[in-house]
Amino acid sequence: MSRLTLRPTPEIAVLTALLALSLLGLVFMNALVAQPKLLFGRSLSALAPSLFPTIIFVALAALCTLLLVLLNRQGGHDSAPETGVGDWRRGVVFFGIMTLYALTMQPFGFLISSAISTTLLSWQMGNRSVIQTALLAVGGPILLYLAATRLLAVSLPELSVIEFAYARLLGG
Amino acid sequence: MIDQLIEGFGMALRLDTFMMMAFGLFGGMLVGALPGFTTLMAMAILLPISFFLDPIVGIPFLLGIYKGGIFGGSIPAILISMPGTGAAVATSRDGYKLTQQGKSRKALDMALFSSVLGDTASDIFTILMIFPIAFLVMQFGPPELFAVLLLSLVIIAATSGSNPLKSLVMMLLGLWLSFIGTDPLGGVERFTFGLFELKSGIPLLPMLIGVFAIPEIAGVVMRNEKARKLAAMMGERLTFAEFRRCFRTICRSTVIGTSIGVVPGLGQVVAAMMGYSAAKNASDHPETFGEGELEGVAAAEAANNAVNGPTMVPLLTLGIPGDNVTAILLGAFVAQGLRPGPQLFEEQGATVFAILIAMVFANMMFIVIGYLSIPFFSRLVTIKVSILIPVVIMFAFAGAFVFRSDSIDLLMLVVFGIVGIVARMAKFDVMPMVMGFILGPPMEYAFGQTVAMTNGDPTTFFLTERWGALGILLAIPVVGILLWRRMRTVQSG
Repeated sequence: MSRLTLRPTPEIAVLTALLALSLLGLVFMNALVAQPKLLFGRSLSALAPSLFPTIIFVALAALCTLLLVLLNRQGGHDSAPETGVGDWRRGVVFFGIMTLYALTMQPFGFLISSAISTTLLSWQMGNRSVIQTALLAVGGPILLYLAATRLLAVSLPELSVIEFAYARLLGG
Repeated sequence: MIDQLIEGFGMALRLDTFMMMAFGLFGGMLVGALPGFTTLMAMAILLPISFFLDPIVGIPFLLGIYKGGIFGGSIPAILISMPGTGAAVATSRDGYKLTQQGKSRKALDMALFSSVLGDTASDIFTILMIFPIAFLVMQFGPPELFAVLLLSLVIIAATSGSNPLKSLVMMLLGLWLSFIGTDPLGGVERFTFGLFELKSGIPLLPMLIGVFAIPEIAGVVMRNEKARKLAAMMGERLTFAEFRRCFRTICRSTVIGTSIGVVPGLGQVVAAMMGYSAAKNASDHPETFGEGELEGVAAAEAANNAVNGPTMVPLLTLGIPGDNVTAILLGAFVAQGLRPGPQLFEEQGATVFAILIAMVFANMMFIVIGYLSIPFFSRLVTIKVSILIPVVIMFAFAGAFVFRSDSIDLLMLVVFGIVGIVARMAKFDVMPMVMGFILGPPMEYAFGQTVAMTNGDPTTFFLTERWGALGILLAIPVVGILLWRRMRTVQSG
């Protein structure tokens, strides 16, 4: 009997997560997919809405299991080179700034949220020039805002007090 | 067809189309020339701009980015041996050697001329062939459509990434993501977890920007890349005699690239590698390849650019995006109200031709813009990343927001960015996932219609009425295995 030799790599983690996802999907299929609509006691569609998802989940579970077994047999893995702690830290900070940007755009408006995020990102990438950062944080969002609202005639989120006044000023 | 072609020609002759194409070409070259930044990222981020333009302006604008970006990727490949795109990997073999020999200008000129020649020839082929293929596709019913969609997914899974099983896993994940929202047949909710925001499904745009652009940017951030030192662009320009010496190679690579472009999933990287290998095999002096041979640059660049036109054939006739770039183009077509498929040729034939003819015009503009701007773009490799990254992220967020004006799309963008990073770390290719996501609903719809047509007896139905669809279905495993083997040979070569 072969022993389990799998090491916890990103590849194994992804496959295990997808296997768990597909098994959970199969178990809770009835709760996750609504019942088909009936007309005079007959279904409106020739295909049950859960049929295709069931096929996909079964195939996904089978493939993930097969890959895990193959990886176990080979005793190796096909993952990317090791990522250092510093790289991880930079990645986490980067996604933190992006999440902050996503969460603040609606309540703070495009100009303010963009100014905050560009400043943080530029700082993270090693820019220590205050003038350069300020120009980027103020000029960049304003130019993009004007291009979007004036040239493309689309709206970007505006802070109700400050940016609404600014937008009115631009609107004349 | 001729009437539509003439009408399309007239429609393409618009000043704003030319201006936006020039802007797209310039933007594409600009992004392609920046090491670590790709055409795909530029297209994903600038895709929303096209939504607010006329189809004959917006789509050529994206095509301009595509063409400019593919060539732009060869600039860092030649100057600093850092391919801006995967397609430029083969170019860097001889291109960088030429730079080391003080002939970088010759290499860049050869890359430009062979790119434009390969691209133009393949675009003309596309214009001539697309209508007969569309006519053939018009004969398709739901069983044939289902079979072709399934075949495309298998081809894409077999040819993308290093492991077809992993690609299949990603394709199935994409199919599952496409089920979130409302069932296309019965209209019932699936996998929405009671969230109102998921009722209309996952929006395509944040997914495209998230999985294609964000991981590229995150990679630059995580590696803490700074601007690189520029190897000075040196040497004389390309002479006509040198170009003429490479002409046969360019023609051969164009044929290879065009053939590969028609098949979904193969793409520019395979074309460039095959074009390069074919040129080396046919050469009287194969030992010079890899040591600074102009023919090597010409072979790779003509082949990878010749893919551009024919990838539009499966996209426009069947709605099947051949690669990740055409997946983005599909998003642009759908947003413009142009649903690719055989009906598109019946309803909007002239518009399709106008877009295809604009591709040829774009090549003519490209040769002028490219020739004049090579020195400028060569300096771009020195731009500070600390300025570029915030600007690119700002574009990505604004682009993800404007389409539906829904802030949930911004969170989706971040989530798909994380999905893209995780997939990259585990060496899973995200392209099959996107293809599964795009092709899932039409495939399920065609399957549902097929089941309804069989009246509960699929054996008789397929054997007597739909043997064409049956033939395609039976060919799927054979084609998949053959393509996988071929891919492995190319990759190991």
